[in-house]
Amino acid sequence: MEQRVKASVGGAAAALDCDAELMLRVKDGDSPSFALLLEKHRSPVMHFLCRMVQDYAVSEELAQEVFLRVYRSRQSYEPTARFTTWLFRIATHLALNWLRDGKHERGQERLDDTSGTLPGRQVCDWRPSIEQRLVYEARLEEVRQAVAGLPAKQRAAVLMHKYEEMEYTQIARVLGCSESAVKSLLFRAYETLRARLAHMA
Amino acid sequence: MRCPIETQATSEVLLAYCARRLDPGTAAVLEAHLTSCPACREFARGQRTVWEALDAWEAMPVPPGFDRSLYRRIEEEARVPWWQRAWRPVGPALVHRGLPVAAAACLLVVAGALLETPRRAAPPESTAVRVESVQPDQVERTLEDMELLANFNQEVRTQAPPSNSM
Repeated sequence: MEQRVKASVGGAAAALDCDAELMLRVKDGDSPSFALLLEKHRSPVMHFLCRMVQDYAVSEELAQEVFLRVYRSRQSYEPTARFTTWLFRIATHLALNWLRDGKHERGQERLDDTSGTLPGRQVCDWRPSIEQRLVYEARLEEVRQAVAGLPAKQRAAVLMHKYEEMEYTQIARVLGCSESAVKSLLFRAYETLRARLAHMA
Repeated sequence: MRCPIETQATSEVLLAYCARRLDPGTAAVLEAHLTSCPACREFARGQRTVWEALDAWEAMPVPPGFDRSLYRRIEEEARVPWWQRAWRPVGPALVHRGLPVAAAACLLVVAGALLETPRRAAPPESTAVRVESVQPDQVERTLEDMELLANFNQEVRTQAPPSNSM
């Protein structure tokens, strides 16, 4: 199996990608390998989509669609890139399509809902007082709005760079553009965020 | 060190520094530069603010029934006939891209029909249409002309000398 990965990918980094190895096992009909991939990547994918579309229910639906597509494509899978690159390409594609189709406008009400009714919101453990919680919620809302105001591709680049800690090359492969284009996207996006969040300093 | 602000190509160094992804050696050189460059210092300060603001945005946990729901969808999909599964990836693309193609084809057909119409032989005009096209004043003028001609002929005949008979 490892030989197959090395032979297919060529690059040293990709050859060490154990996720690609697991995916090749899924291709061979090994269901527990799919469970391992799901266990490892469901949170990053869900978090990325949640920040991307800013709607909890939609991000869950899209994340399920991502893994469903991964499972569907198991027979045609070839480890030509890192598994996470492929995974996030699917996730980004779905999120961008959802944003492009304007479906987010219907979900705006849920996006603006900061009442903390969504399941398991981690902000609950953070608040020592009502005032601090309100300040935190207000700041968080500003951050969310600032990120939501970015063009979709810039938003995806920032989220992958900041939260998934991806390298420029990997982001470029996910977005299907050059590395220099990614640097330019990120630079513009961070500059926009700096202007919008300057008052928080 | 060349100022990262002045050289667009190295502006990523500042971003990497703010993201705490710069190697310690380069970070030390940049920090030395920041002490003497107000523009870079301001940029770095602003980016740190952004970074800290983004840090506060915690992700929400994955819902508890996520895996169960996914596996149920996978099982449901396994029960779908093969031809429906084969249609799924191409179906939406055909619907989305097929409609403009169909519209373009309809336009071509309509345009072709419109272009073809003038080439057909025009039907012969009916007599009634021609009669209707003659105006009353034209008829009047013609009658006047005929009357004038008749009068002229009569005058010519009366003024003509009688023929010599041997």
